[in-house]
Amino acid sequence: MEWANDGKSKGGVLAHLERLEIQVNRSRKNLEDPQRAQAVESALGTKIHKLRCLRDELRAEVKQRQARVKASTVNVEPDQTLEISEQEVVERRKENVKAILQAYRFTGLSGKLTSRGVCVCISTAFEGNLLDSYFIDLVIQKPLRIHHHSIPVFIPLEEISAKYLQTNIQHFLFCLCEYLNAYAGRKYQADRLQSDFAAFLAGPLRRNSLCNLLSFTYKVEPQGQSFPFCARLLYKDLTTALPTDVTVTYQGMDALSPAWEEQRASHENLFFSKPLHQVFTSFARKGEKLDMSPVS
Amino acid sequence: MDAQRAEVRALEAEIAALRRACEEPRAAGEDTWRAQKSLREMYQSDSEGWASSKDLRSHLGHLESELLFLSTLTGISVRNYSMKTEDLTNTEKKEKSIMKVLQRHRLSGNCHMITFQLEFQILEIQNKESLSSVITDLNIIMEPTEYSELSEFVSRAEERRDLLMFFRSLHFFVEWCEYRKRTFEHFKEKYPAAVHLPEGAASSCMVVRSACQPGFELVIIWRVQIDEEGRVLPKLDLLPKAPQQALELDRNRVLETAPLSFRALLGALGIEAALESLIKSLCTADYD
Repeated sequence: MEWANDGKSKGGVLAHLERLEIQVNRSRKNLEDPQRAQAVESALGTKIHKLRCLRDELRAEVKQRQARVKASTVNVEPDQTLEISEQEVVERRKENVKAILQAYRFTGLSGKLTSRGVCVCISTAFEGNLLDSYFIDLVIQKPLRIHHHSIPVFIPLEEISAKYLQTNIQHFLFCLCEYLNAYAGRKYQADRLQSDFAAFLAGPLRRNSLCNLLSFTYKVEPQGQSFPFCARLLYKDLTTALPTDVTVTYQGMDALSPAWEEQRASHENLFFSKPLHQVFTSFARKGEKLDMSPVS
Repeated sequence: MDAQRAEVRALEAEIAALRRACEEPRAAGEDTWRAQKSLREMYQSDSEGWASSKDLRSHLGHLESELLFLSTLTGISVRNYSMKTEDLTNTEKKEKSIMKVLQRHRLSGNCHMITFQLEFQILEIQNKESLSSVITDLNIIMEPTEYSELSEFVSRAEERRDLLMFFRSLHFFVEWCEYRKRTFEHFKEKYPAAVHLPEGAASSCMVVRSACQPGFELVIIWRVQIDEEGRVLPKLDLLPKAPQQALELDRNRVLETAPLSFRALLGALGIEAALESLIKSLCTADYD
């Protein structure tokens, strides 16, 4: 996948984390250097004064608006007008922000700031099915460090972090997101095949933990005269949920009739282009249709 | 000093809330704007009324900075979100310990210059062994709609109910569009006489003309495409224009093969260097 090469977004996220790091270092420095601490304190004092003035200005403006609105609603009885305290305004805003923070999981990346840095949560989904989420806890230090995480061991985390973690956190996380979502999609397909279409399988589904190598023997009709085919699906590209290599073979002694050879080839195409469980859903549907046709 | 910092954060949060209060429109006649006796109280008890809500405001400050972090990280700024739930469990399901809940979500925000409004439904089914969460409906409204590449992508995302892919691809799409705009603007600034942006820097077209060689034109079309899997890729094409005479003299068929050569150039040098070398090659006389 191509990355838009710019320093802007990197600056944004990294700058933010650096600011947090500075805050941590500052409080540590203040213990060590009282003279410097005093200078910082007086700077803060000035800032507080400025903010207080701004706040008073805004309060006055809000009060003016109040007076104007009140003047235009003369007929309303004073006791009928509800009052909200300034505290309620803040409370409401807080609830709103909390809800929005929860909603970020739908973008794929959400997280919380921690005392050390940030804990990012990566959500996964496949075709509208919301699947597992994984977390990664980052410590803001130079160099940026992963404190702990719940990423499965077969995802190439070290490789991805060596490439991106120190230079561009955003790319690091989006890249992980890609790998995890693809893995979750492959796993979902394999699970669905095993649970929903066990009747079609003549033998166990063999799979590895990364779910990128699957092999199984299947019949197009669970109880029928169809031949068993062996399928081997390889997903070389770990960022996709569709296979890169598909082989469907016939495990018999006799040669396949042309009709069956055609089927075998079409099956190969199906496995390339559609998710696994959808391929079997279409087998099931075709089977239903065959039941309805007269026996020849 | 930490107390001072907390006060700064609380003041900032209060200022933000007051600013928002000033922005909210007045509803004529209705008491949407409630009278605030407590405002007076706030003036009087500067320190005492404040002490109790100090924690509240500094907590809000912390949450706001978390929000800022997430919006910077994802490139997506969520401005509003609400959810309603509806319990669909009936007595028959309860006996089998199956719970069904339908959630209706509403989410709106923007990704740079593109604003979106989403409404989606999630069906949660909890049985003894597991919990499944499925997006059963997804509606996406986007504006501005001048990015034609987006409408097809949006319909695909709605069809597949792939919310995560929608956001991920949107983020990369916008990044690429911004990069394209910055690149076009950069070249316009560097070669103001040669480079023309007939549809503006935010469009997909850049024209290179040489003052010394009128009649020759290189039109570069740079599209940002989103494929079936949601991957965002730039696609650049070169359309050279030349006077009839030049075409007749072009025995090596340079002009004919230019589009293909351009693709090769892109692969070798990357986008910026390829564009720069194109501009320089057409306008060598201008800049000698």
